[in-house]
Amino acid sequence: MATCVGLALAMLIFASLAAAAQTKPPAAFGAPPQQQAAPPGFAPPPISVTPSAAPLQAKGPFGSLLSWLAQTQQKMQRQLATAVKRLKQGNALGAGLFLAGLSFIYGVVHAAGPGHGKAIISSYVIANEETVRRGILISFLAAGLQGLTAVALVGIMLIALNATGFQVNDWVKQLETASYGLVFLVGLYLLVTVLIRLWRRRQSREEAVHDHGHHHHHHDHDHGHGHENCEACGHIVDARDIAGPLSWRKILAVVVSVGIRPCSGAVLVLIFALTQGLFWAGVAATFAMAFGTAITVAVLATLALGSRELALRLGGGNARWVDAVWTISAIGGALLVMMLGLLMFTASLGPTRPF
Amino acid sequence: MGAALLGLPSSAGAHPHVWATVRSEIVFGPDQKMTGIRHAWTFDEFYSAMAVQGLDADGDGVYSKKELDPLAKVNVDSLKEFAYFTFVRAAGNDNFLPLQPPEDYSIDYDGTLVTLHFTLPLQTAIDPGTKAVTVDVYDPSFFVAFGFAEKAPVKVAGTPAEGCTATMETPDREVADAAKALSESFFSELGPGSDYGSQFAQTVTVQCATQ
Repeated sequence: MATCVGLALAMLIFASLAAAAQTKPPAAFGAPPQQQAAPPGFAPPPISVTPSAAPLQAKGPFGSLLSWLAQTQQKMQRQLATAVKRLKQGNALGAGLFLAGLSFIYGVVHAAGPGHGKAIISSYVIANEETVRRGILISFLAAGLQGLTAVALVGIMLIALNATGFQVNDWVKQLETASYGLVFLVGLYLLVTVLIRLWRRRQSREEAVHDHGHHHHHHDHDHGHGHENCEACGHIVDARDIAGPLSWRKILAVVVSVGIRPCSGAVLVLIFALTQGLFWAGVAATFAMAFGTAITVAVLATLALGSRELALRLGGGNARWVDAVWTISAIGGALLVMMLGLLMFTASLGPTRPF
Repeated sequence: MGAALLGLPSSAGAHPHVWATVRSEIVFGPDQKMTGIRHAWTFDEFYSAMAVQGLDADGDGVYSKKELDPLAKVNVDSLKEFAYFTFVRAAGNDNFLPLQPPEDYSIDYDGTLVTLHFTLPLQTAIDPGTKAVTVDVYDPSFFVAFGFAEKAPVKVAGTPAEGCTATMETPDREVADAAKALSESFFSELGPGSDYGSQFAQTVTVQCATQ
């Protein structure tokens, strides 16, 4: 986390300095730059000559909340554009810090929408024997990778290959499809492993019961072993086992499946920054944004884990209850990951958007 | 599971990436019937930068008509799959009036913002009369947030009969639909075929009062 912020800040400072160096007008005759920027009687050119839109109003039961969300996002997007442009004028460092802060908040708000793996990661952690710390780690890795994908995509296509904006968009679409497909596969994998584990547990229990039943008739038949299976195993540990142990391979699978899809918001900021000649500012903004996104996702994943914990405690330590909660969350979580992946995969195969 | 529920109110939509300011003209033909809608959609700075990126083929820093025309064509061609984001209804009829593919399309770029102009002909010209025709512009998935311009959002053009007006409806007229929207939006927001954006639709009412 700290490295992520540090990195973003370092880039911003770099971007600000570079911008300042590029665009600071030479102070001819010792005149302060501010006076040069605005000659008397000469209004600065308008940023836009087009009419502004009336604020968006949503109807319906959540109307005011939705209106607020939409209006806030619009306002923030405009401020982001202004912040990037301000890097070229006057106080570049101040503008850089403002841009970083704004991008961060934008990331937090923006992640409230879909496509940042919020629901996927939350479902994933419930399906697994994850700790809060690992849930947070996964959220941050996925958001970081999403940012990295966006930077790599825009950097390679626009700077190295001189592609058009729409070609970048096509790639975003392809990566989205690939990402959702992989999410579905991760869900499928989770489900299969959970079912296999449940089946094995059943088998071993049946064996245990079976051994018991025969134990009076066949004294020499596997008595000790059966008995051990039945009583020596702690039920809680046993139950947790349904979800299966965590492995780096599993973490990597979910991080990659979510992370290869670049956030369209970040792609737009990057392209805009690039057209302003400030690609590095866009990169810094992207990572600040990813940091904000990660926090939202991490909070939701933690809440999800918290609700499972709560559900476990509601049973008051009853072994069957604990067993049921683990089973339901493991299967339900896996099914949700699958379903979300499939829904979004299908949706992403739809016709190309005009805008 | 809890997570999916938590995410519900903001699910699937709430997440516009593109903002478009809409100005529309309701076009009337010589017979004083409404023949179609001429749109001017101005996009936000981010989208605009993306849209023209790489299109200055000769590198002269000017985006000529020749350089922007292919973009306009791509835009209007792909609009069909999205019903042109334009929903026209005759009063008392829930079905949308069929529209024909866009005509007279072009793109303006003022150095900052891109504006897409195009005309959407109605398949059959209609006399709005006193019963009114309504026009909604929105993206059901809310990927694009359409909003009518603050000033002069709509006007009538061509040769309307005397007394024909196009006005924006105030949102509170829709309050009656709130209960219906609750049951619908709650579930529809789950799926990708979301109709989330319709909650943000602003309605233009076209009326020709006979005096």
